[in-house]
Amino acid sequence: MTAVADSGMAPDDGDALRRAARRRKAWWANGLVVALVGTWFAVSPFVPAYILPGPMLVLQKFLLFVTTKTYFFHLTTTLFHVFGALAISLSIGAALALAAHYVRPTRLLIRGRIYPLLNSFSGIGWAVLAVIWFGQTDGAVFFAMACVLVPFIFINLHEGLESLDAELQEMGRSFTRSGLRRFRQITLPLLVPFGFAALRISFGVAWKSTLLAELFGANRGLGYVVNQSRQNYETEVILAVILWIIVIVFAGDRLFFKPAQERIQRHYGR
Amino acid sequence: MADSATSKGGRRAALIQRLIAEGGVLLAILGWWSVSRTMPSFVLPGPVDVLAALWKLFSEPSLMINTVATTLRVVASVALALVGGLALALVARTVPDLEWVILRRLQPLLNSFPSIGWAILAVIWFDVSNFSVLFVQVVILLPFCLINLSAGLDEIDQEVVEMGRSFTRSTWRNLTMLYLPLLMPYLIAALRISYGVCWKLALVAELFGANSGLGYVMVRAQYTANNALVLATCVAIVLLFIAGEKLIIDPLARRFAGPRD
Repeated sequence: MTAVADSGMAPDDGDALRRAARRRKAWWANGLVVALVGTWFAVSPFVPAYILPGPMLVLQKFLLFVTTKTYFFHLTTTLFHVFGALAISLSIGAALALAAHYVRPTRLLIRGRIYPLLNSFSGIGWAVLAVIWFGQTDGAVFFAMACVLVPFIFINLHEGLESLDAELQEMGRSFTRSGLRRFRQITLPLLVPFGFAALRISFGVAWKSTLLAELFGANRGLGYVVNQSRQNYETEVILAVILWIIVIVFAGDRLFFKPAQERIQRHYGR
Repeated sequence: MADSATSKGGRRAALIQRLIAEGGVLLAILGWWSVSRTMPSFVLPGPVDVLAALWKLFSEPSLMINTVATTLRVVASVALALVGGLALALVARTVPDLEWVILRRLQPLLNSFPSIGWAILAVIWFDVSNFSVLFVQVVILLPFCLINLSAGLDEIDQEVVEMGRSFTRSTWRNLTMLYLPLLMPYLIAALRISYGVCWKLALVAELFGANSGLGYVMVRAQYTANNALVLATCVAIVLLFIAGEKLIIDPLARRFAGPRD
């Protein structure tokens, strides 16, 4: 957080001005949040709870997900779905990207046919088809989510492979003739930042798409809870689930992905 | 010699790629066709059934209305989201006090809010209506536009802005003659992304919140186990998306965003 002073201005002045500006920005940002929550508090008693449940009610339901067994079960199920789908999609996306790069003849098939299809096919379409094909199972959820996530992973890794420095590859060839060694010691480390970026994007997408997949394809998980609450007009539960997803996505990004990516950039980046 | 040899080899490699790509597609369709013959049509309808249902979506008036409705809503939401995103990005840029409100509070919130949540809340708040669908789509596209356009504004050279100010003090003229042209590549990128996202989103937004549109058709088809129509709506979305991109967005990009891209 060390601000570099403007040229022509005494360093202390610049620093002080900048700090004051930051304070004002933070004040506005937090002030607005407080004002919004305040309005929510003030308005909600006058509106039916199914239209706008009060913040306390939502918070109460929010906590239910860690205090009661049934809700906690749904939360952990979704966690399982998200990480399972991420692992599956990462393997499939990586396999496709490697095939498109190293097995040249398949490139157009993968990059020009499979990728655009997966990328433009609606996630909800996959979810509906998954239920018809696999019933309400974990498999259906994984299938629907993988169809949504694979294109994200593939395109990131594909771009990464395409942008690999040819000179470094050549240098590697001059050191060893073992393709596996070159791949492990040169290509893989160069790919890490791209793979990580793919994972970071997919993490957010996965949490959002899991709701969709579970809405149709599961009889447990947060998506299932949302669908039940929708039918019972329990808007406070819906908002609590949304809050959980926002908190997890936001916290995961800020506390894990952002620092980890910065470290990886420093380590592997150029 | 060597040159012609490599170009010959290159052409052969390209031909092989092409063969494998088209052959793969053909094989997939053939596989689909042969598997579908052994299965009931509510599990896996054949390609011909899906094609017939697809044709109906674009020809039979009662179904075509839905296709048109979805298309119009997509176009309207993309336009609204672009204008809204631009307005927010400009405010964040020109009113420093509000920068964090928009970029550090509003944007992450919108960005991490699940789309199905908006879809359900919109029906609760605005009932089943056009507005409900538009609201869901705009609110989800907004962060995409905002991120792209504020990145674009960050890239604008301050010296050029200063030059503009020295020519005219009219904010409007500066905006239309300086900011907008410099922002064009970012606007096109925002347009491209939100257009693609919006087509995929249309089904979600219309799932609960509409009594017209392809999403509505799909839900009804799912209830009646008309799987051919379910697949046809998905394919229709893919086709409409590709058509719009090739016919409108690609030419726009060539016209405004320079030869690259």
